[in-house]
Amino acid sequence: MQTFIAQVINGLSLGSIYVLLATGFNLLLLVAMIIHFAYPQVVVFSMYIAWVVLRYTGNSILLAVLAAIVSSVLLNLISAPLFQKIMKNREEVDINTTMVLSLGIGMIITDILSHGFNKGLPIAFPAKLVGETPILRVGVISLMGGQVASLAVGIVAVSGIFLLLYKTRPGRAFRAIAEDPNGARLVGIPLLRTGLESYALSGVLGGLIAVLLAMLLGYSSPGLGEQVAHKVLAVSIIAGLGNLAGGLVVGLALGILEALVQGYISGSWSNAIAFVVMLLVMLFKPRGLFGIKL
Amino acid sequence: MSLVLYYFLTITAIYILMSWGLYLPYRVAHLHFLTVANMLISGYLAGYMVQTLEVPFSVALLAGFAAGGIIGYIVSRFIGDAPTFTVVIVGFTFIYISRTAVENIKAVGATMGMFGLPMVAGSPVMHRWTLLILLYALVVVVGFLIYRFEHSRLGRAASVVFVDKDLATSMGVDIKRLGRLVQTFSSLVAGGCGVIYGFIYRSFHLDFFTFHLVGIFMTVIFVGGYATMWGTVLAAPALYGLSLILPPAVASWRIVIYGAILIAVLVLKPEGLITRRLAHKLETTLSRRRKR
Repeated sequence: MQTFIAQVINGLSLGSIYVLLATGFNLLLLVAMIIHFAYPQVVVFSMYIAWVVLRYTGNSILLAVLAAIVSSVLLNLISAPLFQKIMKNREEVDINTTMVLSLGIGMIITDILSHGFNKGLPIAFPAKLVGETPILRVGVISLMGGQVASLAVGIVAVSGIFLLLYKTRPGRAFRAIAEDPNGARLVGIPLLRTGLESYALSGVLGGLIAVLLAMLLGYSSPGLGEQVAHKVLAVSIIAGLGNLAGGLVVGLALGILEALVQGYISGSWSNAIAFVVMLLVMLFKPRGLFGIKL
Repeated sequence: MSLVLYYFLTITAIYILMSWGLYLPYRVAHLHFLTVANMLISGYLAGYMVQTLEVPFSVALLAGFAAGGIIGYIVSRFIGDAPTFTVVIVGFTFIYISRTAVENIKAVGATMGMFGLPMVAGSPVMHRWTLLILLYALVVVVGFLIYRFEHSRLGRAASVVFVDKDLATSMGVDIKRLGRLVQTFSSLVAGGCGVIYGFIYRSFHLDFFTFHLVGIFMTVIFVGGYATMWGTVLAAPALYGLSLILPPAVASWRIVIYGAILIAVLVLKPEGLITRRLAHKLETTLSRRRKR
């Protein structure tokens, strides 16, 4: 029973990361109408930037957090004109081409990380960030600082985004664009500025996720972005693209499933089992469990 | 023939075939990355058959094609008419699952890979020529079939599906059936390519089938032009050749270079270098000359 509880706790913290990533991803999908497949790669890039800052500032966590957020926002804003140009070229929203462009951006980020940082080897974050001793230990159940932080920040950030989207004027503008871009333009909502705000907001979220992921995993590698990207897109598809509430449920469920499989099945088969479950859901419900909200 | 030329010719042929394997399903707006998993599964299957069971290469190659086709058909029953992003993610999931499976199966070398595969002909020279002839025969056959497809009712139906699925349905196009056909065919081709790909190097390793491969094939079709089959024929040798002529220090960044080229083409020339209009113009000019 203790193993089960320990794995559920692990799963909840991992799931909260998936939820955050899926929320940032869906935000861009809903407002900017792009499938930013490279969003998790942007997050992993920010992890590397945080690692560099930690190394050169004597493990200053505050500066590392700031650097992660700034790099994530900058990368998102740099890619924004590329996506906008593609949309303009085609005179319509073309989710498929934005996905290909995003895959291209992901290729570049992954290869830069493979060549430009730590000779392509995985990086380890200092104990000051990751935490050396558990906050709580009962038998085999141990609660690390990273787990608590990712859960807490996950809940606060997702609640904040829900509040922003459903209780504020900018949120209404975001939803109006998602619902009908031409109608939103007619009622005076600036499409470009609101779109850029969504890129910046998902960038801030990306920077926070980078730090949380660093705290939770304690390491990063160039290939991490691709693996996480795949899971985040799967979470979004299983939930239903653009469905924030669905993403919350599915993200947590996937985290718990993965942790349980890792807890009870040995070897690297655990990853495959999580992928098989994802595959089965996608094959039988290709439009998602909770419905597409586009 | 020098080894450099041999690798250039064989790998270019693999790039052309695999990019056609992506191009064909993209005619109905599907990015079918399952093909890379098909390469891996069929390749390892054939490697095991030849090395451990001592089955002749020709039989193993046929088994590779069959395995690709069967897996492609089964999966296409579910995603024949699915949205593009679902097809993408199903493909990626298969790559992960098959990689994890190979990592854990000792009979195919697990993480170490399979090395020292037997030659397909008596001597190293014959081995190379056999694979080269086999590959280019395959390029001609697959190219001919795709050409016929493009100039048939099915090709025109695929064009309508690409532009507007609702319109295609109201015109009587069976989207799911068409999706199944192109997905199964591309998986079948990928299965055969996977077998030959491993026998070119006479080894199989998981590093042969990474996401870099997805990126390369994607770059080939989008840079060459996703609207015609000829773009691939132009882009595959150009992109692979580029990595050979660059200095080694720069060539090691080839994925960054490919990514930059891909983004530049998507932004500046979205239909790729060979557009449908250009291909049509060339075809018309050539047919006029032939008539004269």
